[in-house]
Amino acid sequence: MKRRWLIPAAVLAAMALALGACGGDDGGGTEEGDGEITVFSLWGGSEQEAFQKVLDKFTADTGIRTKYESARDFLPVIRTRLAADNPPDVAIIPRPGVVAELARDESLIPLEDMGIDADAINENYSDTWTSLATVDDKVYGVVAKANSKSTIWYKPNNFEENGFQIPTTWDQLLDLTEQYEQKDPDPWAVGAQGRDNSWTLTDWFENIYARQAGTDNYTKLFNGELPFNDQTVKDSLTEMTKIINDKYVAGGIDTALGIGFVDGIGRVFSKNPVANMYMEGGFVGGIALGDVNPDLKVGEDIDFFPWPTIDEANGNPLVGGGDVASAFVNNEDNKKLIEFLATPEAGKIWVSTGAIASPNEGVTDADYPNELVAKEAEQLKNAESFLFDGSDLLPGTLGQDFGTLLQNIIKNPDNMDSLLDDYQAQAESEFAK
Amino acid sequence: MSSTAVPGSVGRPRGRRLPFYKRPSWQGLFFILPAIFLLGLLVVWPLIRTIYFSFGDTNSRLQFTRWVGLDNYERLFTRDKEFLNTEVFPPEGALINNLKWVVVYTSLCLALGLLIAILAARARYESMVKAIVFVPMAISATAVAIIWKFVYDPDPNIGSLNAFLGIFSIDPVAWYGRADVVNYALIFAYVWASTGFATVVISAALKGISEEVIEAARTDGASEWDIFRRIQLPLLSLPIAVVTVWLLINVIKVFDIIYVMTGGGPGGASEVIAFSMVDETFTNAEGGYGAAIAVVMLLLIIPIMAFNIRRFRSERVVN
Amino acid sequence: MATAVAVERQPRTVSARLLRFIQRSPVHIALLAISVVWLVPTVGLAVTSFRPRGDIQSSSWWSSLTDFSFTLHNYELVLDNAKMGSSFVNSLIITIPSTLLPLAIGALAAYAFSWISFPFRDTIFLLIVALMVVPIQMALVPLLILFRDFGVADWYVGIWLAHTAFGLPLCIFLLRNFFITLPRDLIEAARVDGASNVRIFLKVVVPLSVPALASFGIFQFLWVWNDLLMALIFVQDSDLWPMTIRINQMQSTYGIEWHLLSAGAFLLMIVPLIVFFALQRYFVQGLLAGSVK
Repeated sequence: MKRRWLIPAAVLAAMALALGACGGDDGGGTEEGDGEITVFSLWGGSEQEAFQKVLDKFTADTGIRTKYESARDFLPVIRTRLAADNPPDVAIIPRPGVVAELARDESLIPLEDMGIDADAINENYSDTWTSLATVDDKVYGVVAKANSKSTIWYKPNNFEENGFQIPTTWDQLLDLTEQYEQKDPDPWAVGAQGRDNSWTLTDWFENIYARQAGTDNYTKLFNGELPFNDQTVKDSLTEMTKIINDKYVAGGIDTALGIGFVDGIGRVFSKNPVANMYMEGGFVGGIALGDVNPDLKVGEDIDFFPWPTIDEANGNPLVGGGDVASAFVNNEDNKKLIEFLATPEAGKIWVSTGAIASPNEGVTDADYPNELVAKEAEQLKNAESFLFDGSDLLPGTLGQDFGTLLQNIIKNPDNMDSLLDDYQAQAESEFAK
Repeated sequence: MSSTAVPGSVGRPRGRRLPFYKRPSWQGLFFILPAIFLLGLLVVWPLIRTIYFSFGDTNSRLQFTRWVGLDNYERLFTRDKEFLNTEVFPPEGALINNLKWVVVYTSLCLALGLLIAILAARARYESMVKAIVFVPMAISATAVAIIWKFVYDPDPNIGSLNAFLGIFSIDPVAWYGRADVVNYALIFAYVWASTGFATVVISAALKGISEEVIEAARTDGASEWDIFRRIQLPLLSLPIAVVTVWLLINVIKVFDIIYVMTGGGPGGASEVIAFSMVDETFTNAEGGYGAAIAVVMLLLIIPIMAFNIRRFRSERVVN
Repeated sequence: MATAVAVERQPRTVSARLLRFIQRSPVHIALLAISVVWLVPTVGLAVTSFRPRGDIQSSSWWSSLTDFSFTLHNYELVLDNAKMGSSFVNSLIITIPSTLLPLAIGALAAYAFSWISFPFRDTIFLLIVALMVVPIQMALVPLLILFRDFGVADWYVGIWLAHTAFGLPLCIFLLRNFFITLPRDLIEAARVDGASNVRIFLKVVVPLSVPALASFGIFQFLWVWNDLLMALIFVQDSDLWPMTIRINQMQSTYGIEWHLLSAGAFLLMIVPLIVFFALQRYFVQGLLAGSVK
């Protein structure tokens, strides 16, 4: 009886021991998997359904179950989970800048450490793509999907009715914009709300900059070798505001900054459109057909044309993005999934959904189910030069803040100079790290 | 104080010393131990850790990497234009936005609460009006954000507010897309959600004011305004103080509604302190910098806490 | 409230009443306007949640009040496809222990602070009251790391503990303030009968304190149910997400699809509304008393 108080104390102590024992199982080498893989990415809706088909095939082949998780606010979620030592097994990372950061923090597992022959995998991909998953000469994953971002979405029927031609130069595009403005509804929709959607603006800028200032300047700019307050940047931003302004964007800049990128697509391709054109990557087609309006007819209601040239001398480079599949946990199951994602077979299943283009060279034109994705894949393959989405390559917080910067510039083009000066100051300290 | 005087000495058998676990001091300890353990481990210890973190840097897994002294604080107040930008006039940034919240939100809630409490007291359907105003208190800020995003929708076919303005031929306004409007749009949505609290507290206090005093004043020819100004308002000062404290603490911690409705946009125009803290820590992996912002939050709340404890002490004296 | 009505002298004739009503009409108009402002946002979204997607895009919600075409399809979609059904259950799993734990632990401590004398009692109590206003932001990262070290970061244990700890100061404060108002004689009498503190607590104090326990319980229940921030950080597995996170993800995945968002928001609101209308008295008491948080 006397020692009764000891019991709760002993229980507490035992709990503490038990809890303590749960942590810390970071051994070296590739362990056995537990038969289930958590895969994390930011895709939802139709993009998620398409990827699920790939995972289903993997499960059918290997018997390893998969659990797909997604969150649009990819970064905060992944960081919280890493801090809690509860990362997903495999993540599909949308920004190579983040791949590099996570790799250097030793959060990602290099393919080599998992016992995967990186060279064999890379044979299926051109150097453009393998470089995205390579950090300090180590390969950390495979490029699961590729996107052209040099695509402008329009309504072919509507073009025909109005007698419009597909513009091949920037001046023609501006001219077309003005002609649309005379009619109803407005020429453009833009969806760039908050932090999760400001990347639509960076894509606009990158396409203009690559064509106006040239690929060399583009590479320098996003590598920190050319200041962001350079005149070339200002010139491109000025061109950008020739389209993204209150006159040409449906609802004006205020609306553009108040709606997300999916809403932007809806403003053009829903049943009640308020705009006629939308500039974003190849994935727009899949979302428009899958989520926004399944009744759209490809080639009549929806299609895209490639970005027009701006300066003839700089040609027509392609700006694009890619997502890297990488493992946070070193085990046999994850190894199998990474290997599977790199096979042409996985690529074929995935592209057959019409949601994506595959960078995998084993995937051929015949594998694409509709002409939209086939055209996109074609564009990716035949590009004169390929430029990776620059803001995704920026280190640290610069990528995110670049989007915020552009939001502020389209809101107040007159403040461009001082806004760029501030951003450059920030960039210098980030690049110096 | 007398009511809390030492119990326990009555009826204790004399002669033999009690086993220690039956002595009041040990018994008290056993009763508070679980609470003290949890508070110590999960509130006090993290608090100390966060203060420590605020003087350092972390890696992307939020592990402390190096000591940087006061650099985070210096950056916060001098180099981070998203937090505080004094180069433009009027100043901008999350801190300034929070100041707007403090002034506009607090005063609107108080004014509306007072107005509704006084007006409703003159109608027979008082309890119904108060219930209508109070219901949003039960709803989560996430739902409030969705409700008001719908009201503010730029399309006048969807957004009630723009439809209403359309009656007067006013063009639709992108309420949460405009940097100069967005903060007030958010504040009003939150005022809508919180006014019920002010109304109910003030109304309860109004009921406590003796009607005889008011009647007497009326008989003496005092106007309604005089009665409000000279009799009711002074007696309402304590409940108004209570409400103000609650609103102030609420406003310094405001996060959910902004996170859901605007994500801090457009262009960071609607960020506030609590939002910056989460953003810097979990989006940018700047754990040390985020910790410094959290400490600033705490420092802003401490004076309010001090006031609260004083109030609490004076209440105990009354007891 | 009774006094307010009673004191107003009732006019005796119909015309006098009418006159009074007209004199007072500004008050009624103002109250009507206030009620409209407070009702329209919720009603608008409620109506929208029952409208087909096509209708929402093509006509306003108020126009549907005249041509009835309502559907429950949005709720089906949200419950199944958008996983709001399982999130509803998750919200309950998070909320119930996060309410009961601080109640139990807090009531024990509050009893000690009211009826047992021990050294530094009032100082400790004041310190706990002071913790009431520590913002959760002060603890997010260290708690996350703590839960990691304990190996509980991948389930609900973390968020239960976090809500419990951050609910305790208010709980102890409220209950202690209630407990000290209990009749002293009752407790002394029990002591004379030789009842232990545990027995007094369970058989005397708790049964007499149901209103106070209910007030705090309801307050804490709604607080946790409505929480977004702590769930964002401490509930990591998407299968475990409560409704607040799910709705937020829905918004960013599908864009502003009002047919889904409105239905989702209403599912999130339904429990608080039921609690509010069923237990309004306790809820208001709890809120008034909890005004310090």
